[in-house]
Amino acid sequence: MNKDIKVSTAYEDDVVFIDITGDITAVTGGVVKGAYDKDNVSNSSKILFRFGKDCYINSGGLAFLIDIASEGRKKEQKLAATGLSEHFQKIFHMVGLTRCISLYDNEESALKDFK
Amino acid sequence: MEKLVELHIPNIIGSEKAAIDKAAAIAREMGFSDDRVEDLKTAVSEACINAIEHGNKFDLNSKVGITLVTEETALKVTIHDEGDGIDPEKIPKTREESNGFPKRRGYGIFLIRNLVNEMTFASEPGKGNDVKMIIHLENKRKEIAN
Repeated sequence: MNKDIKVSTAYEDDVVFIDITGDITAVTGGVVKGAYDKDNVSNSSKILFRFGKDCYINSGGLAFLIDIASEGRKKEQKLAATGLSEHFQKIFHMVGLTRCISLYDNEESALKDFK
Repeated sequence: MEKLVELHIPNIIGSEKAAIDKAAAIAREMGFSDDRVEDLKTAVSEACINAIEHGNKFDLNSKVGITLVTEETALKVTIHDEGDGIDPEKIPKTREESNGFPKRRGYGIFLIRNLVNEMTFASEPGKGNDVKMIIHLENKRKEIAN
C-alpha cells in the first residue's frame, strides 16, 4: 500500500500518546519504533497508541509492533491502543499482540484502565 | 458463470496495491461483506509481498501474476511468482517463540491461512510458486443450499 506514515507524540500527566496515521509496513514501521525508542517514551509506564481510522498494517509493520510489545512487556509498561478498525483488531488478536497491547473502543476507556 | 481476470504487477513493494484494489472491487461486486473484503485485501497483500520478497527476491526483472476467478459462490485467487521454489515444509507453522511470545516475522502465510477459507501452496523448481486461495461467498452458499 505504502501511503505516507505520520507519527507524532504527545504527553499528558504520566501518559504518552503516540498518534499514527497511514500505512505501517516493513518500510515505514521503523518510524513507529523510532517514536517509541525516544527516552522519554520508552521509559514511560503508560503508552497509548492512537491509530487513525485509515491505518493499514501488513505483516512487515506487525513486526515492528511486536518489537514494541516485546520491549514493553520486559519494562512492565502498560500499552494500549485505540482507533483500530475491526479488521485490524482481529489481526492483533490473531498474532497475539493483544496479550501485550490492550485494545479499546475509545480513549476514555483506555485512560480509565490506565489508572 | 465463471469469470477470469488476470493481471501482472512489477516486482516492487507497493505495486501490490493494484492487485488488492482489483480483488476488492471484484469481491464487492460479487456481494462479499465489508469484513470479508478486508480479509481478502490483507490475504492478497501478504501473498503479493511474499512473492516479491521471498519468491522473486526483489528481482526487478521478475513479475508477479495474479489470477482472479469468480464463481457463483466463491472467489479464487492465485498469486504466482517466478522464484526458484520453496520447500512448503520450511514454511513455519507455529507463531510463537518458545517463551510464548509472538514471533517477529513470517506472518504472511499465517494471516492468509486464517483469513481465507482455503489456501494451498505449490512450488516447482524452475516454474515458480503459486499461492492459491479461495474465499467463499457465504450468503450465496446458504441461499443455494436452501
